Amino acid sequence: MKDWASIAKAQGLILSAQEADRIAQALGALERTFQPLTANLPPELEPAFEFHAEEE
Amino acid sequence: MKIAEASEALRARRVSSVELTTTALSRIERNNPELRAFITVTGESAMAQARRADADFAAGKDRGPLQGIPVAVKDLFLTSGVRTTGGSKIYENFVPDHNAAVVEKLEAAGAVMLGKLNMHELAYGITSANPHFGPVRNPWNVAHSPGGSSGGSGTAVATRMAFVAMGSDTGGSIRIPASFCGVAGIKPTYGRVSRFGALPLSWSLDHMGPLARSVRDCAYALNAIAGRDPRDPTSSRRPVIDFVPDPECSIRGLRIGFPENFFFDNLDPGVESSVRGAMARAGSLGASVRPVRVPDMAALNSVARVILLAEAAAVVSPHAERRELFGQDVLALFDQGRLVSAVDYVNAQRLRRAMRKEFDKLWADVDCILSPATPAPAPRIGDTTVKLGGREVDVRLAATRLVRGINALGLPALAMPCGLTAAGLPAGLQIIGPAFEEALILKVGAALEDNGVGVPPCPAG
Repeated sequence: MKDWASIAKAQGLILSAQEADRIAQALGALERTFQPLTANLPPELEPAFEFHAEEE
Repeated sequence: MKIAEASEALRARRVSSVELTTTALSRIERNNPELRAFITVTGESAMAQARRADADFAAGKDRGPLQGIPVAVKDLFLTSGVRTTGGSKIYENFVPDHNAAVVEKLEAAGAVMLGKLNMHELAYGITSANPHFGPVRNPWNVAHSPGGSSGGSGTAVATRMAFVAMGSDTGGSIRIPASFCGVAGIKPTYGRVSRFGALPLSWSLDHMGPLARSVRDCAYALNAIAGRDPRDPTSSRRPVIDFVPDPECSIRGLRIGFPENFFFDNLDPGVESSVRGAMARAGSLGASVRPVRVPDMAALNSVARVILLAEAAAVVSPHAERRELFGQDVLALFDQGRLVSAVDYVNAQRLRRAMRKEFDKLWADVDCILSPATPAPAPRIGDTTVKLGGREVDVRLAATRLVRGINALGLPALAMPCGLTAAGLPAGLQIIGPAFEEALILKVGAALEDNGVGVPPCPAG
């Protein structure tokens, strides 16, 4: 489990204890559902970014 | 009165655009102090546009069904010379020098612009309880939220302040207020309507679209705003077709799927019975209504949330240190977004591609999918949780549960009213179709509407 308060502090984000707790709860819940999805992604699966060189 | 009737009456000179606009402005004047649907009302310029529309009719100049029709736009569409706040202190004094593509197109269609609509701060939430411009109220019960983020759009249409109100939808922000306010709203396919000149929340999830008094009115509005725009790098080259369903449109033989997993879990009983009633009506009209198993929507919602958190944090990063400018709920989301790693964001975009492919397989078996738009009717203003399936659930996660994933897929989805709950609040139906099949989902919605699926006019207004 990530230490969200320390990650926030390392990024220069100063949060009150209450704010840090609220964020940790929300991100912790999201991590629990999201991270298992990433476990076996094949390398050939590319992100759905939009970039079209011909239009630049 | 719907757009088709108003448009016909304008052409037959039974009514003038000045009269329609005067009525709309009177409704705004009467209702806006309580409902707070509008942030800015452009009454003088609206009357000037109405006079011009009437002069054009007299001169035989016809720019289509929206000519002379009073409309409004969410206050994130840039309007030349008219303040555009995004519902935020950041843009409190921002007066753009050009119009958003949607505004340009409405002007070109001869619509009369009434003003700028209130919304959830920066479109980042579903209550429209805006801390800077006041909470938008639901006209069916002013103690309740109209939904959001396009809450002012939902309220303005429900109370007949405007025929059409433009909104944006990043995780349900057109469909949720449509559902809560008992109006129709369509999130078109990603790329169908230009995002140029709309303040972004999440570039890869933002969709622009109309809310209106009926499904056909949504189609008229979509006809006016759809189409290729090179200023939006994701704008589609697909040709625009006529989206307005025929008067006697039939859905006989269409294969309509209803999800046997996820979408009907833990619903408010009033919402469930209304949606099942609409499905039964589709069956009675000759559609083949059949169960379908959808891919993991909870996983898709997680993917969409990671993308939204990261992109929204990037959007607001120039203002991130001015924390006093933001409401507490929006600030908490921006803080979360700053902590999402680059790896997670990239992986979310990879999962999105894979899930889109998986979801597309459904279209071999069905032509569209019917589901509830929101699991419950509008919550009370200030409620942070809603009780569903015997559990208290976060109100934002509950309201977005059935709509958010569709943004990640980029598919078109229509929300329309399908009944009232015992509390007298609207229940919303969602119709999801394959990419660029807006005409099909609008046809299904119109056929249901023609055959009694809907709500009576909102008593307020």
